[in-house]
Amino acid sequence: MSLIEAVTVPKWGMTMTEGTITQWMVGEGDAILRGQEILEIETTKVTNVVESTASGTLRRIVLKEGTTAPVGALAGVITDDAATQDEIEAFIASYADRLGSGEDGDASAATPRAVAVEGGAVNLLEAGEGSDDVVLFLHGFGGDLTTWLFNQPEIAQTMRTIAVDLPGHGNSTPVQAADVLDAITSAVLASIQDAAPARFHLVAHSFGGAVAASIAAKEPSRVASVTLIAPIGLGKEINRDFLIDFIAAERRRPLLGVLERLFADPSKITNDMVEGTLRFKRLEGVPEALTNIAGAIANETGQVQAIGETLAALACPVMLIWGEGDQIVPLPNRDNLPANVEMRVIPGVGHMPQMEASSAVNDAIKENTRRG
Amino acid sequence: MAKKSFRQALNEALHSEMARDPSVIMMGEDLTGGAGAKGVKDAWGGPFGVTKGLLDAFGPERIRDTPISEAAFIGAAAGAALTGMRPIAEIMFVDFAGVCLDQIMNQAAKFRYMFGGRAKTPLVIRATYGAGSRSGSQHTQALYPIFTHIPGLKVVIPSNPYDAKGLLLQAIRDDDPVIFLEHKMLYDTVGEVPDASYTIPFGEARVVRDGKDVLIVAIGRMVGVAEEAARQLAADGISACVIDPRTTSPLDEDTLLEEAERIGRVVIVDEANPRCSVATDISALFADKCFDALKAPIKLVTAPHTPVPYAPNLEDAYVPTPDAVVKAAKSIARR
Repeated sequence: MSLIEAVTVPKWGMTMTEGTITQWMVGEGDAILRGQEILEIETTKVTNVVESTASGTLRRIVLKEGTTAPVGALAGVITDDAATQDEIEAFIASYADRLGSGEDGDASAATPRAVAVEGGAVNLLEAGEGSDDVVLFLHGFGGDLTTWLFNQPEIAQTMRTIAVDLPGHGNSTPVQAADVLDAITSAVLASIQDAAPARFHLVAHSFGGAVAASIAAKEPSRVASVTLIAPIGLGKEINRDFLIDFIAAERRRPLLGVLERLFADPSKITNDMVEGTLRFKRLEGVPEALTNIAGAIANETGQVQAIGETLAALACPVMLIWGEGDQIVPLPNRDNLPANVEMRVIPGVGHMPQMEASSAVNDAIKENTRRG
Repeated sequence: MAKKSFRQALNEALHSEMARDPSVIMMGEDLTGGAGAKGVKDAWGGPFGVTKGLLDAFGPERIRDTPISEAAFIGAAAGAALTGMRPIAEIMFVDFAGVCLDQIMNQAAKFRYMFGGRAKTPLVIRATYGAGSRSGSQHTQALYPIFTHIPGLKVVIPSNPYDAKGLLLQAIRDDDPVIFLEHKMLYDTVGEVPDASYTIPFGEARVVRDGKDVLIVAIGRMVGVAEEAARQLAADGISACVIDPRTTSPLDEDTLLEEAERIGRVVIVDEANPRCSVATDISALFADKCFDALKAPIKLVTAPHTPVPYAPNLEDAYVPTPDAVVKAAKSIARR
């Protein structure tokens, strides 16, 4: 029977759960003495050296430098001269079984990525593939790309989708500019330069509607269709207290009271939504960025933006979706809407139709993008 | 978002706040961590690796290694705070507070009150606490009830990496003395922590998990125990709400009372000894303020009233377990 000895990631102290291989001090094929320092491993606490528990030859390095692995994982194999390659392979295989399956399989799950733009980064979540149609999702004031939690996966079944954290929201860097809407528009366009083709569909909510209109005004030929959910800029009326109170709420209970105004049925608000919003609002620079954006949305006399003319000039299909019970941006007067827009009103829904009535909204998005 | 350990989250907060505010200084035993490392400075980054890299970044004037004399350096830190510095003093094990309690209890905690509000004491005292590390009775206590009892001190007990960073930044920026307690067994726990700075206000409980059948209030490392218990209870069809007060002084009475009134059944999990503890304090709050909403007796799951044992099997038996929490919850869930 030949000697085969495992070199494993050690457990240094009660609290260590994993370690990172920083340096192999010996190479494959090197002769090793028992007690010799062979491997340097870094934990979240400290870097330390592993000594060999046997004399022999380092036949195999399993964990390369830079790899992080759980305590007990097989880092290398030391054997005597009698051990065959087959025996070593079998030994390594037995270790893989011991630690579950080894490799984590789910590489296909979509994760957001940060795209560098001038002055910071814009966070994007892409999903879906194999289609020339690209849908760009733009959330509203104080939200983030998870606003599209119930929409993006559905739309991504047939089209490519990109959901954006607008600058100053989610994991995107705030922009500093006198014209904050223009700066946000430029940052979003820069961030999708590589990901989106010449033409794309816009789906936007609330303040995102003004960003979408601004994109359409800048690059009308690139916009295939526009679907706006309770956008700002089509009337004067707005619940400005919502903006002020949202920025001011630093604690859970006051913030819950503010978020409840978004929904026709406040029980839809989860603890995770409140906690996630608080985490975003606490980040350094965010309250200032939100104050800046709120100023671009409304002042003492009501809404600041006007997107009607931009929409009226578009040749592509334009659809509006509104919750009948919207307490933030109330239903606009239909007589004042451009003639080329189609309006869908969803009863029993507040300012968040994309969450409150997601399947109706998804159907409308599909319908409008098909026309574009 | 980047995943970071509890230790890294604290280290990041210390680095960013020392860079932002030149009045922040640190002092404590082995902060620059040479002990046992052949005399190399900062080899370990402090006894628990929390202060790694600070010496290089900010120099020995601001990162001060002290003699083994808590009475001297805690007193010095309290005095420095009075003169406008923002000192962070580290007591390696909170158990050692015994030798500097006068500096904490009669000096730092009293300055603002006794000087008629004309003095600020922006002092942070960081210390490790808690059982589980085989460190014996004099290095493992959960002494936050002692500090919570003293008016003039704020007491912070983070349960996860995200809270650790935000609460430590708040502690440093706070103008009153703050006792900041780090459980040794949490240092390697990992969670999402933003790179940017953020502060979490004191007196703001976190609703860790929503539920309707039983309310579990847990502190520090016991929050993880309560979460595990809640998962097991969920498998048995019992929905548990878990609340982490995050700070025991100030205490978020509003959130605790609101949830206790809504649910009516309460289990409190606390690693400290049970007499005159935070668990009994919160229990008294419920009995006093929302007795009529309670549907069953309040259950306490705590350590026994003994020192922390050194024998590993006894130490494990000493610390409240998820099983004990599940048992307590089931005993009242269907009454």
